[in-house]
Amino acid sequence: MKKLSGRSRALRATACLAATAAVTAMAAGCGNGAAATSGGRTTVTFDYLWTGTEAQKLQQIIAQFNASQKQIKVVGVSNPDMQKQLASMSSSNGSFDISDNFGNNVGSWAAKGILAPLNSYMQSAGMSTGDFIQAAMDEVTYKGQVYSLPIAVHDFELVYNKTEFAAAGISSPPVTMQQLATDIGKLTKVNSSGQITQLGLGNPDTGTTLTTLGYAFGGTWDGPHNDTPSPQDPGNLAALNFYTKNITDKYGASNVAKFTAGWGQYGSPQDPFYTGKVAMIIDGEWQPVMISQNAPHLDWGVTDIPYPANDPALKGTTQLTASTLFIPANAPNKQAAFTFLKYLTSPSAMLKFSLALGNLPARTSLLDNPAFNSIPHFSVWLQALKSPNVHTLASQPYSQQYSTDLAAALNSALLGSTSPVKALAGVASQAKSYGTP
Amino acid sequence: MARRDLMARRSRTQRRQLLWGLAFAAPWLIGFAVFIAWPIIASAYYSLTNFNLFQSPQFVGTANYRAMAADPVFWKSLQNTLYLTAVGVPLTLLLSLGCALVLNLPVRGQPLYRALVYLPTIVPVVVTGYLWRWLLNVQYGYVDRILALMHLPQPDWLENPSWGTQAVLLVTLWTVGGPTIIYLAALKNVPRELYEAARVDGAGAVARFRHITWPTISPVTLFQVVVSVIAYLQIFTQPYLLAQDHLNSSSGGPGNSMLSYSMYLFQNAFVYLKMGYASAMAWVLFVVTMAVTAVVLVTSRRWVHYGSR
Repeated sequence: MKKLSGRSRALRATACLAATAAVTAMAAGCGNGAAATSGGRTTVTFDYLWTGTEAQKLQQIIAQFNASQKQIKVVGVSNPDMQKQLASMSSSNGSFDISDNFGNNVGSWAAKGILAPLNSYMQSAGMSTGDFIQAAMDEVTYKGQVYSLPIAVHDFELVYNKTEFAAAGISSPPVTMQQLATDIGKLTKVNSSGQITQLGLGNPDTGTTLTTLGYAFGGTWDGPHNDTPSPQDPGNLAALNFYTKNITDKYGASNVAKFTAGWGQYGSPQDPFYTGKVAMIIDGEWQPVMISQNAPHLDWGVTDIPYPANDPALKGTTQLTASTLFIPANAPNKQAAFTFLKYLTSPSAMLKFSLALGNLPARTSLLDNPAFNSIPHFSVWLQALKSPNVHTLASQPYSQQYSTDLAAALNSALLGSTSPVKALAGVASQAKSYGTP
Repeated sequence: MARRDLMARRSRTQRRQLLWGLAFAAPWLIGFAVFIAWPIIASAYYSLTNFNLFQSPQFVGTANYRAMAADPVFWKSLQNTLYLTAVGVPLTLLLSLGCALVLNLPVRGQPLYRALVYLPTIVPVVVTGYLWRWLLNVQYGYVDRILALMHLPQPDWLENPSWGTQAVLLVTLWTVGGPTIIYLAALKNVPRELYEAARVDGAGAVARFRHITWPTISPVTLFQVVVSVIAYLQIFTQPYLLAQDHLNSSSGGPGNSMLSYSMYLFQNAFVYLKMGYASAMAWVLFVVTMAVTAVVLVTSRRWVHYGSR
């Protein structure tokens, strides 16, 4: 056999190295996310979307759980990137065991097999859902299986600036939609050039404000069984007509758009509600904490969403959304993750979590807990959860696309590009294709 | 016999060299096969399926392509993209050529001016996008303030559906520094003796540009047209940043006026998880891009002049 020269050997070695490196690089992408242990304890990776102060408070709750455990160690990782969260769940072996998201994604993700069903774990642990707020449980249940559990819920009420109310000669917040319309008129200011300088009712998020108003007018966005898009429901149309008639049509869609373009960032000291540019907003229970941080001198109040005077049965209407915890179908340590999930949704941990973040608890037994008295005006949002008129947008496979189409259509109506009737009809037309590939 | 031995030895050497060559090229070859060629082939198959990334694809034939034909948002995104391409490409060429001609003049401080024109190109596009969101704000943006000083109308760039696409165009044209530098290099290569001869013959500046500069740089113009067409047909980052109203949102701007084809493809793939539909959209974009490029190349025979021919 012919011997290779030194140069040839070097060349061959380099070539082999290059080929091996290529194969190794490929193989590295196929790593196995097998169950991890640390000091004899199973490591559970909790990948959550919360950041900043909220993440710090969550880490304290994780530390308390770890201190109480000999079997499991939870490692919390703040990761606010939803795309990364999804990408991680698409591989055969997941990189985390438990995570959080909003309840409106549950149906879509459950239908695609992304989430691990929790019924069997709950049965084994003797866990009941009877204490959880029903609307929140409806959102996390898909085809009879629970795929996620709510750690906190959110509802929407009418938040108002008391100083601006007094300046406009309004002695009490509106109770009916008719009073709301009158107050919007009194609280909207236009200067001599025709430019708006203050808006009676602001709109932190078009989709949320108008879907909540839709419920308040007796509408439904997902049909009678909360499983089919129904954008053209008469209540929804009444809500959109109310908004356009009292705001965008009355003061000019272009003028309103121009005024809103100058608003500061939501939830910052420049937030238009905090600076007095907006007198009322329909917003969630996080406002007390945000106001104390960003506008401590603001004199504000909160009241129920007004109802149509001719339909008092709609009093106390609100929209609920849920912050939920789930275990991905590809989680390496599902059983240990469920033990932690059960702890986080237990009344004591949920109370700590809700108080720390200024969110509403997802358990009815906590709604009257005096610990919440420390948060200003929080009771209005808490008590609203007891109303029979608590609604949630459906959590179905179509929900994400429906939400995008609805937001685009509602924006078009508010910009005056199309009429409310045509905007909602357009969404109904698009909704027909949601079931197709 | 000796000749056969020689040929066999040569053949062995060639085979050995081929194997070594392939081994050295293996990292790139495997990378290309796995990360480029295979996804392209796979996407062609996925475009004929109902696939959500998490479950096995279900074959649906041409249903995704038929659904596209009936999807108004698809048509809106295509319309926006074709408009941006039809208006953006000529404007990009015009502006970059104009800048290159000015930057080619023998004036003092020219290197500084060239650097200034190129500067926006090296600023990260996300920074540029957010800067323009502020500049185009109808309440406190400088663009409308300058227009007001000139007694011109001040559009609601980011709020009015009629102006959304123009805002995207404006932000995209801000980075003409790249094409300008390419044109500048082309202008430097135009033989001076041609200008001198034309001047002797009494040709003015316009005639010199028309009969010398333009034909000489026409191969570069063809390159710029092809590259710009592809860039505009795939435009994503600028409209995505201008239209975004909050984190992780999938907004298309007012009345979907900023929704580009690639943005809608992204929405379908990564927000709605409709990978089959998104793959079909990718293939339609590929076909449209190939068709437009082919038209440009075929027509180029009439207006592109190569000095060697």
